[in-house]
Amino acid sequence: MALAISMLAFLLPGPRGPLLLYAVTLVAMPIAGVGRAIRQGLFICLPLWFFLFLLHGVLGGGPTFGVGPFALSRDGAELALTQAGRFGAIITVSLGFYHSFDASRFLNAAAAKRWPLHLSYLFVATLHAVPAFLARTASILEAQRARGLRFGGGPVARARAVLPLTLPLILGALAEVDERTHALDMRGVASTRLRTPLMAPKDSVLDRVVRWLLWLTVGAAVVWRMVG
Amino acid sequence: MTGVELRDVSFRYPTSAGNVLKSVTLQCRPGQITWLYGPFGAGASTVLLLAAGLAPRHTGGTMTGAVSVLGHPLDAAGLSPLLGQIGFVTATPHLQMSGIAATVWEEVAFAPANLGWPLARIEQAVEDAMTALGVAHLAGREPDTLSGGELQRTVIASMAVLEPAVWLLDEPTTALDAAGQTDAYRMFRRAARDGATVVVASEQADALADVVDRLIVLRDGEVVLDGDPMSLLAGDDIWEGGPGSTSVAGLCRDASRHVDSPRLAMPYPVTIAHALERWG
Repeated sequence: MALAISMLAFLLPGPRGPLLLYAVTLVAMPIAGVGRAIRQGLFICLPLWFFLFLLHGVLGGGPTFGVGPFALSRDGAELALTQAGRFGAIITVSLGFYHSFDASRFLNAAAAKRWPLHLSYLFVATLHAVPAFLARTASILEAQRARGLRFGGGPVARARAVLPLTLPLILGALAEVDERTHALDMRGVASTRLRTPLMAPKDSVLDRVVRWLLWLTVGAAVVWRMVG
Repeated sequence: MTGVELRDVSFRYPTSAGNVLKSVTLQCRPGQITWLYGPFGAGASTVLLLAAGLAPRHTGGTMTGAVSVLGHPLDAAGLSPLLGQIGFVTATPHLQMSGIAATVWEEVAFAPANLGWPLARIEQAVEDAMTALGVAHLAGREPDTLSGGELQRTVIASMAVLEPAVWLLDEPTTALDAAGQTDAYRMFRRAARDGATVVVASEQADALADVVDRLIVLRDGEVVLDGDPMSLLAGDDIWEGGPGSTSVAGLCRDASRHVDSPRLAMPYPVTIAHALERWG
């Protein structure tokens, strides 16, 4: 769904298409149990939207229309709305995907579909790298604070604090990679045999119908853009 | 057949100034627990990495000589013929977790699932391994919520589930309490009795003295002593240049320097039981 919506955001004509997609994600996220993606999406999107309207709506050229005391560029406002819808839809659906992703279920589902383990594991590990990196950053931050390093103050003080934070972060991560690789290697991650799905999640008829509908929509949008 | 064999092996890491192993020749036999013991940097962990096929394949570095496990030479083919037959455990359990299992049960089932075992076999093996390591009650817990000791037990169970023919253990019980150590070594002892080759690299002399069958002492990348653990730990040679013996032997040795008594003379008592036998 995340991939399909991201593709559609660029395929559908603006501003209605992307705005409609954003509206769809606003409805879909709470249904999927990840309503917080909307709030977090807004947090990221609001500054972007503000600058889009400033750049295209206020500073854009061409015919204008009035909103209160402001005269906005008609073309610029349309472009800003299109981009705002795209950003809103893609960012929100990506956050929704991130929050609803269950690594274990994914691996089991991938095994049931007979995907090669190293590919599905690579995908999962990439997604897991972010929270692992954040957790490591927090623990290094605490450790350095305990040693008396100050992270507050002016820009110079903050810049000085960057090195004692990033150096152990990067070196530690590199050292961990070695040991993790050893452990995973011994546990058959590089095995060429097909993985046994432990508890393959149900792929219901509704799931399949939604998936196919989304891909049909993407396909139809591609054809329509090429022909139209 | 030898479990683990190193023949005239020298090895250096890409970042080390010289060889960390120098012409090491040793054989670890099935049915025995062999203890690699030495001061920090002696090369015991490196022996395990070589035997696991992880060095130099993952670590980089240069090796000369030959390493074989269960009769298979570890060459460019790597571990493929031995996949699932080697159990490797280190002292950092959080780095040995898969990171993707939702429950402890799935964590333990991770390796056999990767090897394509049938589900019924996985379920039975997981249950056996978790019971042996005392983590059956944690089956439904998220791995991220486990304590250090629980994690280490889970890691050992995650290897035990494969019933490996060769166990390579690098400080496997440092995160465990006394009960955990007892459970773990009981399981390793049982594995050895069933014909597995168990090799432990550890500095925990007190915990291992009466557990292992054979002691190999390394210093500066060379094998300097090899023999019966009790005889070696009771002697003076093990103190020359490190790593020393158990705390009971150390206490007796220190006391013998101040008090001239035949009750404190070599061979030193190695365990509390030995000390009680001599002085009790």
